[in-house]
Amino acid sequence: MSRVFAHGRLRLYLLKLLEEHPRHGYEVIRLLEDRFMGMYAPSAGTVYPRLQRLEAEGLVAHSQEHGRKVYRVTQAGRQELQRRRAELAELEAEIKDSVHGLAEEIRAEVRGTVHDFKQELRQAAREIRREQRYRRRERWGSSASPWAEAWPDRPGRSDGPGGPDRTDRPDGGRPVTPDASTAEAGRAGDTASSGTAEGGTGLEGRLARFGERARALARAAAPPSEAQLGECTTVLDQALERLAGILRAP
Amino acid sequence: MGTRTIDQPQTLALEPVSRVRIRTFRGSVSVVGTDGEPRLEVAELSGGPLTMRHEDGALELGYGDWQRPNLLSWLLHRRRWRRRAVLSLAVPRDCRVDAQVVASGVVVSGLRAPVTVKVVSGDITLAGLSGTVVAETVSGAVEAQGTASDLQMRTVSGDLTLVEAAGGTVRAQTTSGTVTADLQPAGDDDIHLATVSGDVVIRVPAGSGLRVRLEAVSGQVSSMFPELTATGMPGLRAVEGRLGDGSGRLRARTTSGHVTLLRQGEQPAAPDGGDEAAS
Repeated sequence: MSRVFAHGRLRLYLLKLLEEHPRHGYEVIRLLEDRFMGMYAPSAGTVYPRLQRLEAEGLVAHSQEHGRKVYRVTQAGRQELQRRRAELAELEAEIKDSVHGLAEEIRAEVRGTVHDFKQELRQAAREIRREQRYRRRERWGSSASPWAEAWPDRPGRSDGPGGPDRTDRPDGGRPVTPDASTAEAGRAGDTASSGTAEGGTGLEGRLARFGERARALARAAAPPSEAQLGECTTVLDQALERLAGILRAP
Repeated sequence: MGTRTIDQPQTLALEPVSRVRIRTFRGSVSVVGTDGEPRLEVAELSGGPLTMRHEDGALELGYGDWQRPNLLSWLLHRRRWRRRAVLSLAVPRDCRVDAQVVASGVVVSGLRAPVTVKVVSGDITLAGLSGTVVAETVSGAVEAQGTASDLQMRTVSGDLTLVEAAGGTVRAQTTSGTVTADLQPAGDDDIHLATVSGDVVIRVPAGSGLRVRLEAVSGQVSSMFPELTATGMPGLRAVEGRLGDGSGRLRARTTSGHVTLLRQGEQPAAPDGGDEAAS
């Protein structure tokens, strides 16, 4: 968490600007641009996350004034500035006197921004993918799935509005034990009955019960942590693979 | 100003410049747009003197024996590999830049005119460029923040990243790297992002008008836009559809990575708005 000054010493400026005077974000952006002699204009997208991180570090704090956030340096922030005063002066001189120093600072700044941004987007992308996988897996427990194709007439998949109509036609070759009573129960009220009514013998019933219990567990843990999600995903993947192996066997 | 030889580190004030051409080897090259006086800083120099030619606003920096663009034969002289220069230029904002270097990092920032950067081995960093940009490297990353016009980025092994990029014609192509792009489509965009063995992550605002097609051969294709639908077939996963008025075009493709299209949230966009998520 404490990589506030890890890249782009520009953050020192942020702190310094706020030490001079409490300011709101937009003002900070404008002043930074001045500092770089107009050669580089940090955008809102780079400055705001940085302010937030400084705040998380306890170096600045904000208050609401006229609907705007005004940031000010905290005691810890002042100490940090004090500690790095020399570095700041050196940097300032470098930027003012040398194109090279300025260019290096711009490079560090862009690097830092790009790095943060990449992390943020990749994290978001990972979450979306995980969610998508999860949804797909959930569908396996409901109607729109290969299972449904294999057993087009099975009840016990309560949440599928697109589920096939029941025809009460037992699927002869499959290792399930469909009969009128389970079908009836399935039609009546699924959430409660599908697990119990189909008993322990039918694979379909077991799956439904499994789905129910797993979902209940998931709800209880909501929201599950990333590590938990990852582990669960692995377990489910493995289970599915093994099932596929068993059921595909002649 | 004519031709002169630079044989040691120094800082030179320059006469007006409207075009810069740089051909160097190792070291680094920075070109920064300024409203002030143009100048050249040579911070380090070894392996031989640099030649500077300045005529009619056209500035050329390189070595005297760079005659024709036959890079390969030129490279074969190992003697030249000792050449190292750390150059920084401040030029007017409407100065065109053309830099071709061998093993250097390159920074270009704050310009309105077209920029071309070609590197064999090294990273390219671009910031605040409103003219067209061509940035190519063989082994290295290209990172751009705040581009406002057509943009072409290419690398063989390295990541490509675009932050705060306006649309237009955007091409980003890498072989073994990721492509990460934060785009603000303008309406008639033509955006094409491709990698072979990396992920592609794209973020666009909610109201974008784009015809979208995202493809992955062995990875996952995901999007935060419910308007888009999966249209894959065996051996190819694809998501496509139309966002908004569909006036622009967005294509992204990877072979062994994932493709993800994200929708830009509200958080950091507006100054002093809705960034409550601190601490």
